[in-house]
Amino acid sequence: MIYIDQELCTGCRSCADVCPVDAIVGEFGQPQSVDQELCVMCGQCVQVCSSYASILDEGIAPREQKLAERAMLPSVKEPLFAAYNQGKALKVKEALADPDKYVMVQVAPAVRVAIAEEFGMPLGSLAPGQMAAALRRLGFDRIYSTDFTADLTIMEEGHELIERVTKGGTLPMFTSCCPAWVKYLEQTYPELLPHLSSCKSPQQMAGALFKTYGAKVDKVDPAKVYSVSVMPCTCKDFEANRPEMKASGHQDVDVVITTRELAHLIKDAGIDFASLTEEEYDRPLGLYTGAGTIFGATGGVMEAALRTAYEVITKKPIPELDLEYVRGGEGVRYATVQVGDLELKVCVVSGLKHVAPVLEQVKAGTADFHFMEVMTCPVGCVSGGGQPKALLPKDRICARTARTASTYKHDGELRHRKSHENPDIKKIYKEFLGKPLGEQSHHLLHTTYTPRRRDA
Amino acid sequence: MCALNAFVVADPNKCIGCKVCEVACAVVHSDVPVKTVGQMTTPIIPRLYLVKTAEVTMPVQCRHCEDAPCANACPVGAITQRDGIIYVDQEACVGCKTCMLACPFGAMEMVPYYRNGERVKQLRLTEETGEGPVLQDAFVASKCDRCIGVEGGPACVANCPKEALRVVRPDELRRTRNLEAALAVLESVKNVIG
Repeated sequence: MIYIDQELCTGCRSCADVCPVDAIVGEFGQPQSVDQELCVMCGQCVQVCSSYASILDEGIAPREQKLAERAMLPSVKEPLFAAYNQGKALKVKEALADPDKYVMVQVAPAVRVAIAEEFGMPLGSLAPGQMAAALRRLGFDRIYSTDFTADLTIMEEGHELIERVTKGGTLPMFTSCCPAWVKYLEQTYPELLPHLSSCKSPQQMAGALFKTYGAKVDKVDPAKVYSVSVMPCTCKDFEANRPEMKASGHQDVDVVITTRELAHLIKDAGIDFASLTEEEYDRPLGLYTGAGTIFGATGGVMEAALRTAYEVITKKPIPELDLEYVRGGEGVRYATVQVGDLELKVCVVSGLKHVAPVLEQVKAGTADFHFMEVMTCPVGCVSGGGQPKALLPKDRICARTARTASTYKHDGELRHRKSHENPDIKKIYKEFLGKPLGEQSHHLLHTTYTPRRRDA
Repeated sequence: MCALNAFVVADPNKCIGCKVCEVACAVVHSDVPVKTVGQMTTPIIPRLYLVKTAEVTMPVQCRHCEDAPCANACPVGAITQRDGIIYVDQEACVGCKTCMLACPFGAMEMVPYYRNGERVKQLRLTEETGEGPVLQDAFVASKCDRCIGVEGGPACVANCPKEALRVVRPDELRRTRNLEAALAVLESVKNVIG
């Protein structure tokens, strides 16, 4: 949940300028508040807010009290700003100290291109190995990566798209990995919900697998598994707490923290991040391809899906892996891709405020594409509300560019770059899931949506 | 050379009160380089201050006065003029607050002193506590130095999202105003003569 500290807000409404759903309520010059029903929890207001708690202001509540209100670790030294998201780091610290819990962690693609910033390294530094090492020092029992289930999402969503196109399902199909976008569609265009892919987000796929396949691999009681997620996103906690997210028979993801909160935990434990030597993620749920890691950038899901769909449909290797035409910045992009006999038309929307005109076309039946990726944050998850917050406006832009560049660099350097070539993806289908869109997949990896239109 | 000291001033009609200027000021004056909030281990200590009342919203900062009352009042000579900037030597400051009394704008503040991200203590001054004498925290005078040595000039001006701040160069200011006045006269004369 996103809040605005009434004591700190000056009412400049810079947050209202970036809010994609007009959820910031208040008169100019007066403290603002968040319309929680409208809010999609993208946290862009948290990123842009510059009204800080000053040590020179004697009229405000003490820092200790504010840290407690925000559920932040008491050891956090950084300045506090008016717009914030409720933290969960205390819960993670508690779980790590509990000997009865078997704590598994997943980290999203965009976290590895940003976390190092909090330790003084340049904006956009790529640090997957150091992050894995830091997570191990923190005491997590299994270090997994959401990039693996991003690969799995491609297997499921790719096949879903092929099925919808060839068998006459609802088109165009929309991606469903961004929880803010899903909530927006549920509350603003509930009539378009059949267009959403039924695939859970990579976070929720991982959650469902941790307490089933993951527990089985490690021979632990699923009830003892505590599932932690580290996300660049301030909405993923909402997604984890959706009532339907209990496919494993337990709460699939127990707690979600942001990139910033992971940095707080690392500092709290006295770990010197910059001096850590790189380590590997655990297998099987931590092995990932370049296709999985580009989920962090706008156009990444589309690119990853095309790399796989092309090869599944044509049974030939894709001639070019870097699909520059779906990459880019904020706004709407269209592309047409020849996949065998099929002329596949795609649309990529980056920044939720740009989606409404496209949805109006879909409603009117004039939208001319098969598949649309939507990411709420300006350039995708790398610019998420839970990412390190730049102090200066210009550095906010530099960080986005640098994190995006590192994401594609990581993709280029990984051994496998197509989701269907991930050896552990092949293995999980063979050992546990059966086939994409199969019965086990349907039960664990797919979901349903809830219209939530506000009463007029 | 008779150049007057330049200063930064805000336009209250443009200012929205977001405090980006204060944050930017603290960032460029931080003694350890910082880019993200999480890197900061010290409070944000700016050198200009947002005034926000029902009537007016704008930051206030030093005018770099020609006959700087702060410098005149400083008993230890810690405030001098350097390249048109009234400058506080924080190492020399004793924290007497006379400059605060002297400044007609409230541009001077006593702030906690940090070096390498660590709080600096007084050399000898202790306070008695239950656990014996404890060295007192150091406080020093702090004010706008017009971002002396900062590439791109004053950070408040460069980062304001509403372009509400500007550097005023008094000699240019007079010439600009003279020109505007002359053009206004020309306009009114035209109107009279037709």
